[in-house]
Amino acid sequence: MESLRNSESAGGVAIPVGVELPLEIRVHGRGGQGGVTCAKLIAALYARMGLAVQTFGDYGSERSGAPVQAFTRVDRIAITNRNKVYRPDHLLVLDAGLLETPVLSGVAPGALILLNSTAAPADLGPRYQGFRLATVDATDIARELGIGSSSVVIINTTIVGAYARLLGLPLEQLEEVYASLGVLGDLAAAEIAYRRVQIREASANPPSAQAAALEAAGLAAVAPMTQEMLDLPINLQTGLWSNQSPSYCQYTPPCNAACPAGNDIVGFIQALKEGGPEAAAAILLRTQALPSVCGRVCPAPCMSDCNRKAFDGAVNIRSLERWIADHSELALAREVATNPRRVAVVGGGPAGLSAAYQLALRGHQVTIFEAAPALGGVLRYGIPAFRLPLAVLDRDLSRILDLGVSALCGTPLGPQDLVRLAEEYDSLIVCTGFGAAHELGVPGEGLAGVEQGLPLLDRFKSGSQQISGHVVVVGGGNSAIDCARSALRLGAASVRLVYRRTRQEMPAIEEEIAEAELEGVRLMTQRQPVACLGSDRINAVLLAEVEAGAPDASGRRRPVVTDRTTQLPCDRVILALGQQNGLELLPADWCVEAGRAWSGAKPLPVFFAGDCSTGEGTVTHAIGNGRKIALAALAALEPPAPFSALEPLAALKPPGLAAVALSPQSSHLKGEGESAQCRAEVDRVVAPAQIRFSHFEPDPPAKDRHLSLNQARAGFQEFNLGLAGPEEASRCFSCGHCTNCDTCLIYCPDGIIYRNEKGYRVDLEHCKGCGMCVAECPRSAMEMNEKVLPGGSR
Amino acid sequence: MRGELLSANHAAALAATLAARANRTGRGFCSGVYPITPSTECMEYLCNQQIEKGKVVRVESEHSAMGVCIGAAAAGARSFTATASNGLAYMAENCVAAAGLRLPIVLAIANRTMGPPWNIWADHGDSLMLRDLGLIQIYCADNQELFDTVLSAFRLAEDQRVLMPAMVCMEGFILSHTVAQTEIPSQEQVDRFLPLTRIPQQLGEIPHSLGQIELPAQTAAHRRQHHQALLGAEQLFEEVRAEFAGIFGRELQGALVPYRTEDADTLIVSLGTMGLTAQRVVDQARERGEKVGALRIRMLRPLPAAAIAREFAGKSRIAILDRDISLGFGGVLWGELARFAAPGAVTQNYLAGIGGGDVRPEHLEQVLADLKGRRQSGSPVFLEAL
Repeated sequence: MESLRNSESAGGVAIPVGVELPLEIRVHGRGGQGGVTCAKLIAALYARMGLAVQTFGDYGSERSGAPVQAFTRVDRIAITNRNKVYRPDHLLVLDAGLLETPVLSGVAPGALILLNSTAAPADLGPRYQGFRLATVDATDIARELGIGSSSVVIINTTIVGAYARLLGLPLEQLEEVYASLGVLGDLAAAEIAYRRVQIREASANPPSAQAAALEAAGLAAVAPMTQEMLDLPINLQTGLWSNQSPSYCQYTPPCNAACPAGNDIVGFIQALKEGGPEAAAAILLRTQALPSVCGRVCPAPCMSDCNRKAFDGAVNIRSLERWIADHSELALAREVATNPRRVAVVGGGPAGLSAAYQLALRGHQVTIFEAAPALGGVLRYGIPAFRLPLAVLDRDLSRILDLGVSALCGTPLGPQDLVRLAEEYDSLIVCTGFGAAHELGVPGEGLAGVEQGLPLLDRFKSGSQQISGHVVVVGGGNSAIDCARSALRLGAASVRLVYRRTRQEMPAIEEEIAEAELEGVRLMTQRQPVACLGSDRINAVLLAEVEAGAPDASGRRRPVVTDRTTQLPCDRVILALGQQNGLELLPADWCVEAGRAWSGAKPLPVFFAGDCSTGEGTVTHAIGNGRKIALAALAALEPPAPFSALEPLAALKPPGLAAVALSPQSSHLKGEGESAQCRAEVDRVVAPAQIRFSHFEPDPPAKDRHLSLNQARAGFQEFNLGLAGPEEASRCFSCGHCTNCDTCLIYCPDGIIYRNEKGYRVDLEHCKGCGMCVAECPRSAMEMNEKVLPGGSR
Repeated sequence: MRGELLSANHAAALAATLAARANRTGRGFCSGVYPITPSTECMEYLCNQQIEKGKVVRVESEHSAMGVCIGAAAAGARSFTATASNGLAYMAENCVAAAGLRLPIVLAIANRTMGPPWNIWADHGDSLMLRDLGLIQIYCADNQELFDTVLSAFRLAEDQRVLMPAMVCMEGFILSHTVAQTEIPSQEQVDRFLPLTRIPQQLGEIPHSLGQIELPAQTAAHRRQHHQALLGAEQLFEEVRAEFAGIFGRELQGALVPYRTEDADTLIVSLGTMGLTAQRVVDQARERGEKVGALRIRMLRPLPAAAIAREFAGKSRIAILDRDISLGFGGVLWGELARFAAPGAVTQNYLAGIGGGDVRPEHLEQVLADLKGRRQSGSPVFLEAL
């Protein structure tokens, strides 16, 4: 670091070498960059030396981004000059985009020029040879230190650090001045600029006379106020004023990110709003094999993550999906496959059905092998009709079968059959669901009257089982709730549901728990059966109190069973404790890794999908995994260019949807091999903070309609009647996806956003980069981008 | 140079703040304010100050701002406001009331062109519009002068022999937004300089009305008294200057600022900051051997007629600069001063910097050259026409 060399002094304080008094300094910046404060900081630097200073801005009616000037004068005696600075000795340019404007006007050869630029002095060409020239990338420094806003970086305090270095001033002097003007927080940026500034001394070459020429005043003729007038637009290229420009983009809505089935939720809801259920189904059916089912029994993680939740309640997405499924007749047409494959799917539950559907849609030949007499798996045998009527399931099944899927029901298979099918078919997908049910593991579990829930639900459904007396259901999932509600309907005198954790921790769908309570099921949470009592038949269960212990790996608090027990008399205990992963069918010499079977080191064309592989335990997860594995199985059959078969299904474009909302995510048959850009987009999930709640009117969620309680308890008629209409779709924020709401167009202070056939066009020749459209976008469907400026400069 | 780096707007507000605090043991301080470019920073600064027994009321218009000041002063409080341009025009009705009620309210005006056509830059037309209403008017040329004058305006306006509003003017942006070193006195010094505000006609426990309807003879008497009091303020200002120098140890600029006028045959006369530019041109002309001087008029009301006549005596050529125009007449300053010129002198009006243009030394050199070539006085000339 250079030490201060005293050439002269005013009042005993050193004046930097090379500074001749009176001194005139001109700062060129843009409205909002802080040019006036920059000139003031410089004035304060000189004032500290005991010199007289004067500093002022050249004010106009400009808005943010317009070229502006500020001035500083320094002298030994009181300054009486009240004019602007026309022949500056020092020139600071805060934005190299301004070099296009006549900033050099009146600058004399030998003057000092300090430029905020990414370029080095040597890169700036012969125009600057007569000057002492310095550059520093102040924008980079200020941005790094977070000075200013996202769209306007304020660099005044940064560049003054570089200026101090040019004067040879020690850093301590800066510190005092920054403290006196209350910008001490920016001193670190000034220090970085002080170190990074690059300086090139003036060349000895004869300076060009042109540089010093004053810009001619050149006033236009003024028309009288009283003549006939037109406000002709002035072609001012205000687009040159900006460092950033806005663009429309797509961010991932949190519902889409949360959906285990991979549904384009915002896509289908907006399509429902704009084009009705058929248009919505066209999007939904690309990923969803079982919309009628999921619209009823999905735990709806999309709704838990819905950004509207923090505003006035999540959008009732599940019931909108049901509305679409129940009110559209659409079935997607089967495509013609380039290389038709024969695929065997073992297991006709949700995962197998989803895999078969996706394959058939793409024109492949699928055969489902199902052990039970009919397709559906848990949907048919494990979910009571008051939640999922069989007719509803059959509707979804027929859509799948109509694609040409053949189903061999009543065909239980063994491990050797898998080996055989793997040879007979191009590919084999195993979706056999969960294995054996979990047991309690307590004394007396073998007593009569203690039974597993799932087989019982099946018997309930077939009408071959009646219930009487007092029933205790053990478990907290949807099956437990289903057992309890079914038992009530079949004549139980009372039903108690025993669960070891709290109600909030129950895995069952919240609405289902509430409905069960409403119907008369009594919850006994934080209780654990430790013995079943009775001589030959159960007559009581011994319940221990459970306390919440330390959190386990999943973050839930581990239940700690205490020795405080109570005896609960009962006539029947139903166990709904979940099931184990079941890979009983796996041949002995195969192993499974990431859903694919291997024989030793050799990958087989055999895949495992759904609960037998993942154990995720919901219908929706199974559907998502079935689809994913089906696509993986197809990809594995292709030679190493798996993207060739990924053209979007043009025919599936929903009618009446704005083009801007269509690409690229909505081409869902692209499958899991989407391009890298798509992948990056998926990482950009819209957070609640990115939604402008102020643009929306509070509008509470539309609730589902239900049977009256008396009707509900009297039988197995579907209890939830769904929404009364599709209006709930209008509540969707459409997070990250433009809805052509015009907010950007309305808020643009320059009126340079126009509608076009794709949505909107920003006139970048006149966009000043203020960022207001992006800040005001209600749904985070716009972003600011750094502009590449001529000369790589700022 | 010593002093704090302050804009003139902030300096005016700081002077008002110190004056406000100096009345803390009296009836306190109350100010009504409303923003307008280029005066806004003044009221913003004032709003940020902590003032014991002080209240700054942000109202919905300039009219109401002066209404608050009138109410405050009528209740015996010290009062101050700031505005400009069309804001002052909107305030004007209540300025008439403040003057007619003889309430010593201080106004800081950041002179700005009246619109439309809209223009935010300097022009003296706004304050000159209120020239005849019975307010003291003083025009300033630099930051220190402005601070000192605002402080002194309280002293002068509240003098028991004066008791009327005082308007302190600075050109918008050219001065209002210029930051320069300004020496700020201590509160203790200001306390000694400003006596507690005393408004004899203030509203008290026994109800009475202010400014009730009068018969012609009564109003004539009140006008005469007001006029005499305003004329007397010129001499009282000299007393204030003496007090000021005694307490603050520096000179407060007087009603007129003559510059190298003693032996001059040619004079450049102006208001505000153009006077400083005139001084620079005088120096240049003197170097060429021309006998040129400059006269800056600080106090326009009361008009120091005798002093101006003394300055004009013996001058053969007088250029009167106006950053304003009385449409259908010519420059207001010229209209005021031309009669003081010696018989036979060439007195020429130049309209310069109207609408806020930067008046530079080269422009005033053009003025001098034009003046030199004239054999007799002419009608007002626009600078651009030279």
